[in-house]
Amino acid sequence: MLLSVEGIVKHYDGVRALNHISFQVRKGTVKGLMGPNGAGKSTLFHLISGVERPDSGRICFKEKEITGLPTHEISRLGVGRTFQTLQVWGNMTVVENVLTGMHSVIRGGLLSCGLSLPWIKKREEAAMKEAKDILELLGLFGRWKWFASQLSYGEQRRLEIARALAAKPEILLLDEPAAGLTYPEAKQLADRLLRLRKAGLTLFLIEHHMGMVMGMADEVAVLNNGELLAEGPPDVVKNNPLVIEAYMVRR
Amino acid sequence: MVDQVQKEFRKRDLLYSGALWLLSLILPDPQLHYRREYRIRKRDLFYLSVLLLLPLIWKDVHFHHLMVLAGIHGILALGLTLFLGYAGQISLGHAAFFGIGSYTTAILTTRYAIPSFFAFWASGLAASFFAYLIGKPILKLKGYFLALATLGFGEIFLVMVRESPGLTGGVIGIFNIPFFSLAGLVFDTYLKQYYLVWGVLSGLVLFSKNLVRSRIGRAFLAVASSEDGASAVGIDVGRVKLAAFVIGASFAGLAGSLFASVMSIANPETFSLNLSVLIVMMVILGGMGNLYGPIAGAIFLTCLIDGLSRYQAYSLPIYGVILILLLIFFPDGIGTRLRVRVIYLISYWGRKKRREKVEI
Repeated sequence: MLLSVEGIVKHYDGVRALNHISFQVRKGTVKGLMGPNGAGKSTLFHLISGVERPDSGRICFKEKEITGLPTHEISRLGVGRTFQTLQVWGNMTVVENVLTGMHSVIRGGLLSCGLSLPWIKKREEAAMKEAKDILELLGLFGRWKWFASQLSYGEQRRLEIARALAAKPEILLLDEPAAGLTYPEAKQLADRLLRLRKAGLTLFLIEHHMGMVMGMADEVAVLNNGELLAEGPPDVVKNNPLVIEAYMVRR
Repeated sequence: MVDQVQKEFRKRDLLYSGALWLLSLILPDPQLHYRREYRIRKRDLFYLSVLLLLPLIWKDVHFHHLMVLAGIHGILALGLTLFLGYAGQISLGHAAFFGIGSYTTAILTTRYAIPSFFAFWASGLAASFFAYLIGKPILKLKGYFLALATLGFGEIFLVMVRESPGLTGGVIGIFNIPFFSLAGLVFDTYLKQYYLVWGVLSGLVLFSKNLVRSRIGRAFLAVASSEDGASAVGIDVGRVKLAAFVIGASFAGLAGSLFASVMSIANPETFSLNLSVLIVMMVILGGMGNLYGPIAGAIFLTCLIDGLSRYQAYSLPIYGVILILLLIFFPDGIGTRLRVRVIYLISYWGRKKRREKVEI
C-alpha cells in the first residue's frame, strides 16, 4: 500500500466533515474520489497533505505514519498535490514556477547561492533542462518564458501539475484537475495523466467529470456527508443505488 | 503632401527610438524582478562607471557626504527589499539591526581595539544572530501583526540601548570611533568613504542578484505569492521567511558598521522608528521587487531630505506633499515605473504632434 488512511475523523465547530474514513491507494494505480459538493473531499486532501490535522485516525505513506507532519515534510516524502483554487505563483515565469517546484531537489545554501558558486550554476542548468522536459510533457513548453499570471485558466491548471511533478512525487493528489476545462481540454489532460501513470506515478484525484473518472480510475471511492458511501471498481460503483441517490435524487 | 508628412514622421520616429534606446541604458527595467536570468549587463556597467566617475567630476564635499549617507541608506533599503519586496513580509524594526551593527563596531573598535575590517564583518554577524533569535518566534505572525511585532522590537532595542550606559554609552552614545581602515589605507575623507560605501553596496547588489535568481530567491517569491503552494512543493515557509529576515538584517548590520566608522559616533537617536519608516519608504518609493529601485529610492529620499532642510519649518509639509504626489504618479515606485512613464510621455508627445499635423 502506498497510501493508507485509517479511521480519519475531522470536525469543524461541531460539523462533522469526515467520519471514520478508511481506504487505501495501491502503488501504480489511479484512484478517483467523488461526491457531491461539501462531501469532505477537499478536507480529506488537506488532511493527507498536512494542511490540517485530523481529530483522530492515522494516515500512512509507504508504511510510515505522516499524520500531523508539517506540509513541506510530507511533500518531501513524495506526496505532491494541486489545489482546487489555483495557487500558481503569478509573480514568476512558467519555467521558474517549475524550477521552484524542484526547490527541495536542487539543494544549495544561502551563501553558496548568493556567491553563485560553480556547482550551484551547474545544478541550476541541469534543473533548467529538466524543467523544460516537464513543461514539454504537459504541453506548456511554448509558454516557458511567460508569466504564470498571463496563462489561461486551463494552462495554469497544467502548470500546477507540472510544478507538483517537479518535486518528484510518488503519489500525486489532484484536486479537481479538470474543473473549468472544456471537454476537449479535459480529454487531453486525461491522456497526459494516463501517460504519467504509465511512467509509474500513482494518482489520486477528486473529480466531478464522470466520464473522466470512469475512464481513468482503477478504483473509485464515493463520499457523501463525510461518510464513505461506496468503494470499488468504477463499473460497480456507478450502479450502486446509494451513489445514484446521492448524486441524482438529493440535488 | 501625405508623403511629405510621412517622411517627416520617419525622421522623428528615429529620434524617439534613439532616445528610448538611450533611456533603456540608463533607467531601470520596468519588470526587472521578473527577469531572473540576468547576468551583469550593459546597464550595470553603465551604473558602475557613473558611480566611479561622479565624485571625480562633481568635486563638492557636501555632495560626497550626501552620497555616503545615500549609499548607507541604499544598503539598508537593499536588505529590506529582500524581505519586503521579494519575500513579501513587512518589517518596521529594520533600524534596530542597523543600530546593532553600529554598536558592535563602536564597542569592538573603541574598547577592544579590534581592526575595523574585522569589526565590519562581526557587525553583520551580530545583526544576523539577533535577527535569527527575534525572527524565529515573530515570523509566525503575518501582515499587521508582524508589522507591530517588529515595531515593538525596534522600540525595545532603543530602550535597552538608552538604559545600559555601561555597554552602549546610554543616551550620549559612543564617540571617537576610528575611521575604517584596511591595509594601512585610512578612509578619512568623504571621497574615500564614498568609494568604500558604494563598493560595499555594489558587492551586496551582486550578492543579492545571485541570490534572487537562485532557488532561495525563487522560494522568496513563492512565499510572497502563495504560502500554500510553496509548502505543497516542499518549501519550508517559516525557514524561508527567516532566511530573508536574517539576510536583510545582516545587510543592515554591515550598513550600521559603515555608518559608525564614517560618522565616528553611535547614538541611539539615529536608530529610532523614524529611520525604520524611512527605509520602508525608500523601498516603496523606489519600487518593490527589483534591486535597483530601493537604491534609487534611497538616493532620492536622502537628497530630498537634505535639500528640504534649508526650509526648516516648511520642510515636513513639502516633504509630505512630494511623497504623496510621487506615490500617486509612480505607484510602483520611481525605479520601476520611471521608464514606462517616460516612454509613455515621449510617445504621447509624439502622438500629439502627429495628430495635430494630420488634422491640418
